[in-house]
Amino acid sequence: MAEKIRVVVNEDKCYLCGGCAGVCPTLAIEVHSSGWEFFQDKCIGCRICINACPVGALSAKPLEVKE
Amino acid sequence: MKYDVVVVGAGIAGPIVARNVARAGFSVLLIDKKPAIGAPKQCAEGISIKVFDKYDIPYDRRYINREIYGAKLYSPSGHELELRYKEVSGVILERKVFDKMLAYYAAKAGADVLARTEATDVIRRDGRIAGIRAKHEDEPVEIRADIIVAADGVESTIARKAGINTYAPPHEFDSSYEYEMLIEGYDPDLIHLWFGNEIAPRGYVWVFPKDEDRANVGIGINSDNPETAKYYLDKWLRDNNIPARKLLEVNVGVVPVGGFVRELAKDNVVVVGDAARQVNPMHGGGMAEAMEAGTIASKWIVRALEEENLSLLQNYTKEWWETDGKRLEKVLKVRKVTEKLTDEDLDLFIQVLSGADAEKIAGGDYVEVIKALLKHPKVILSPRRIKLLKQLI
Ligand SMILES: Cc1cc2nc3c(=O)[nH]c(=O)nc-3n(C[C@H](O)[C@H](O)[C@H](O)COP(=O)(O)OP(=O)(O)OC[C@H]3O[C@@H](n4cnc5c(N)ncnc54)[C@H](O)[C@@H]3O)c2cc1C
Ligand code: SF4
Ligand code: SF4
Repeated sequence: MAEKIRVVVNEDKCYLCGGCAGVCPTLAIEVHSSGWEFFQDKCIGCRICINACPVGALSAKPLEVKE
Repeated sequence: MKYDVVVVGAGIAGPIVARNVARAGFSVLLIDKKPAIGAPKQCAEGISIKVFDKYDIPYDRRYINREIYGAKLYSPSGHELELRYKEVSGVILERKVFDKMLAYYAAKAGADVLARTEATDVIRRDGRIAGIRAKHEDEPVEIRADIIVAADGVESTIARKAGINTYAPPHEFDSSYEYEMLIEGYDPDLIHLWFGNEIAPRGYVWVFPKDEDRANVGIGINSDNPETAKYYLDKWLRDNNIPARKLLEVNVGVVPVGGFVRELAKDNVVVVGDAARQVNPMHGGGMAEAMEAGTIASKWIVRALEEENLSLLQNYTKEWWETDGKRLEKVLKVRKVTEKLTDEDLDLFIQVLSGADAEKIAGGDYVEVIKALLKHPKVILSPRRIKLLKQLI
């Protein structure tokens, strides 16, 4: 299984183009007219969104596993 | 609020559906999350001249930015292939005006239009979708409708929340980055395209002129590439000594280039345009495809409402797959073959093809050209090239 990650956006780079939401297989990202939103519980850590962003506004942070 | 049809997304597909359904006398609401429909643009704005007549869109100077007479292709080592018509073959639009005017035509035909209204979810009632939940500024709104049209672009969120599978693997998308900028030295009557695996993996760099010295200068690359589209465009500008100091806009987007949605209608929900991945996989143009799908979808929406039989919506899936879907599947096959071409192949093909060949390819008659290529000495010497070309026939 893919490593659990938190996808984070750099708002100064993001154009709210919606591309990352479009390629995400699980609807873990929504791009609203006024902001970018991530749903941790839906993310499967595939990193497709991170590669797809045309400007490199997304990155992954490893998610701490709670014991 | 209650309508016969609610259309989510006022890009290209949405307003065409809304206009056609309103013209037939049914109540329609068209919503878009943008405060100004059409802005920001996510497009190089090139479209064939044929669409105006075909889809009954006025040839209005307010959104015709520039008329184009053909195209020029550049191979990795700089070989050129020019295709120039005597008549106007296409136009570069001003999409900020175009999208808004399409919504205006829908409104004039009788549709209601609400900008800054974002669909957040679908409403389910008794096991079926009864409408959508939306937000206008910070006010929640419930819109009930008999038919829901997801024309929400590449995100396809509403289509997916309604249970339509629009998933496509990452390789079936292009990441695009573009500057509208001042640029000199390119014939402003032609669109210009540069190919090469180092220049634009899987895609191309484009210069689409909007003025003598102003153009949309952009790039599309495979979206599963580890580098960004921005990285490749900035590199191309540097390598070609093109100063990037007069940038009027930065445009960003992801384009579906394959992965056409199988099931375009599910119960009373219909998906059109980029949301249904209805884009030409070779060049990433999707406006004409969105208009075509919108036209077919609206025809069946009107029939379904007239005959009070929502199962007729399935005919949209059927008709699209028998017509434009069939055509685009062939284009997808070509894309998959051209993806395997090396820079040397691209150099050779652009070198040996003539303007007349290019015209045949543009007209869709590429088989004859492939047959001619297969007779060329430099092609005959390479079994790999023969194999690739034969896959296209
Ligand atoms: C950089 C770039 C260059 C391109 N160049 C060309 C070109 O030269 N020629 C060409 O033909 N095509 C081009 N395309 C493709 C073309 O832009 C699309 O195929 C076309 O716009 C598809 O139309 P559409 O109506 O399906 O979607 P869109 O035009 O994307 O419209 C979707 C609309 O839905 C709205 N929306 C999304 N979600 C919601 C929601 N939840 N609630 C309310 N509203 C919502 C959006 O705000 C948007 O206005 C390009 C694309 C890109 C990214
Ligand atoms: S793809 Fe990149 S620029 Fe576009 S919305 Fe996602 S993070 Fe922002
Ligand atoms: S990593 Fe995968 S699942 Fe998670 S948000 Fe990105 S695309 Fe979606």
